Amino acid sequence: MLLKREHLDELLNSLSKRARVYLPARRDDTTTSCFALYQQVGRQAFIDASLSLVNTTMPPKDLLFPQTQKMYRYGVDAEGSAWIDPIHDADAVVVFGLRSCDMRSIECMDDVFLTKGYDDEFYGARRALLTTVAIGCTEVAETCFCDSMGLDPNTAPAADIQLNALTDGSGWLVNAQTERGRAALANWQEYLQQEGEKREPSSPLEPAPSLVRSACTLKVNAEGIKEKLDELYEHPLWDEIAKKCITCGTCTFVCPTCHCFDISQENRMKEGERFRCWDSCMFSAYTEMAGHHNPRASRAARVRQRFMHKLCFFEERYGKSLCVGCGRCVEKCPVALDITVLIDRIAALSAASPAALAASPAPSSAAIEGGVAHGAN
Amino acid sequence: MTDIEEKLRERARQLLESEEVTEVIAWGAGRFVNQTTPLFISEPAQADEIVFNDYCINILAKYAFTEQGAGRVAVAVRGCEARGINRMLADNQIKREQLFLLGIPCGGMKERLSGETLDRCKSCTHPNPVVYDEMLGEEPEGAFETIVASQTARFAEVEAVEAMRREQRREHFDEAFSRCIRCYACREVCPVCTCRECFVDQQRAGWQGKQNNLNENRFYNLTRVFHIADRCVECGECARACPMELPLMEVNRKMIKDLNTLFAAGEEGLTSELDNALGRYDTGDVEEFM
Repeated sequence: MLLKREHLDELLNSLSKRARVYLPARRDDTTTSCFALYQQVGRQAFIDASLSLVNTTMPPKDLLFPQTQKMYRYGVDAEGSAWIDPIHDADAVVVFGLRSCDMRSIECMDDVFLTKGYDDEFYGARRALLTTVAIGCTEVAETCFCDSMGLDPNTAPAADIQLNALTDGSGWLVNAQTERGRAALANWQEYLQQEGEKREPSSPLEPAPSLVRSACTLKVNAEGIKEKLDELYEHPLWDEIAKKCITCGTCTFVCPTCHCFDISQENRMKEGERFRCWDSCMFSAYTEMAGHHNPRASRAARVRQRFMHKLCFFEERYGKSLCVGCGRCVEKCPVALDITVLIDRIAALSAASPAALAASPAPSSAAIEGGVAHGAN
Repeated sequence: MTDIEEKLRERARQLLESEEVTEVIAWGAGRFVNQTTPLFISEPAQADEIVFNDYCINILAKYAFTEQGAGRVAVAVRGCEARGINRMLADNQIKREQLFLLGIPCGGMKERLSGETLDRCKSCTHPNPVVYDEMLGEEPEGAFETIVASQTARFAEVEAVEAMRREQRREHFDEAFSRCIRCYACREVCPVCTCRECFVDQQRAGWQGKQNNLNENRFYNLTRVFHIADRCVECGECARACPMELPLMEVNRKMIKDLNTLFAAGEEGLTSELDNALGRYDTGDVEEFM
């Protein structure tokens, strides 16, 4: 099926009657962008909604896992009895224009929040009401490296619906890839057209030749990165890169897969509200315990944790990389601490001398474990 | 520029060879064209990794603070770094004898993707270092003098905001602060933010709620501004580092402009003396609020 460019607005308007529709949009007066509510684009602060925007500054993760998620209200009533009111605020949402990297990041979060015997009701409620519409990249940023991380910028197989731009710029090829996608397409029918007689409906793996195809220009050697990192836990490189890291939370907050949170509350008189909010393993308070003990007091320990979680630990538990190659952290890190440089460096270390990987000079590990922090707050 | 780069490499190598310093902090190449990244070297052979060009956008001052304990450290300093270092010296956060300052005359830096001069460099009043141990290249004439032309640019944004109607101004800042993701990059790069424990992290006191919403974001940003008010060296690194492009210098400079009006405060970080407007009391001070 084809979606003509001139029918896009009508489609989005129509979808907006049944669900909250989000799509990539640039913010006024800045170069930052995010997934914005379609109804608000053009008003408020969002301008320039465009399906050809390269990765948004902020990933779509807050649609499923808001930076602040209210969980329940509680209090004590006039009789002195406690009450608790859960907050359920999930709505039907269509997210339009996800990139392959964004879609993979949702798969990673699904693993965390919905598998291995853990079922997060807040995430689950939103996920059950989410329809994902991916779009093959028509442009890539210089920081994009998803195809080195095993993804294809042209296809997101897990998305409910996949769009691919036609080379003549007239619109998109539309493919439903899941049950939910096929059901959702029923609402799209009046805005779609059959393909021309001569073109067969193409499979997602082999798009018709008239579709725009993209490839990342940045290539990274991530082959076997998990196994390499298994040997590098005590390596001095963590101390070295930690000198540069300022341990702000930028990388974790712009990351589409970082999913750590803290639970806190706001109390007023005899009632309060409990919420969870994004937290960052870069912050020293993240691991601080009662009595001020901090198992990751040093910058090096925190930097190591983040890269190990992305490239090693997650793979061990869920069988996929937690880095999807979107390049957001590469673009936004205030000190250009570049995960792609680290990945290549680990590959080079491993190639140069497999034995060197196991090297663990005592001072290095002592500095990390002992929490000798650089300018620890 | 390449001349400076050569001299930086040469002096870094010599200082490490002679063991006058244990580490040199400068800039190295990033992965992309026109990208640099802070570089820390401790071996003379690494000196050739140093680069200096129009894209050295990271201000290195804060590393003089975080690298304490590494012995005497050499730091490449331009006007912005030098003023940040003076500030930290005045606040007794770092020790002068632990630093070797390699002065660099600066012509302004450019943004990587657009190639345009950084906003902060356009309103820089002291491109050349106000403190150094050694100047690389010719000691620039008038290095310690304020560039008068930049004084107009310095408060241009503040004046534009002041000219807004109250509601407009509210909307302007609400829009900006609602964008804040509270990554605290502004705090981490700031040479004035050297508190052992930031108010944000005093969880038991609970000054700063952890939720991300306009109220909490506004509280964070304005509290930080009040906290650094009379000590801000106007390096603009907070605004440069901000991933969400918040107009942080508008607020910082509003404070500075008011301090200038009330206390003739001038510019911070020009010397390492503790002389900030709110740090001393004078019987002639304006006290309209009393």
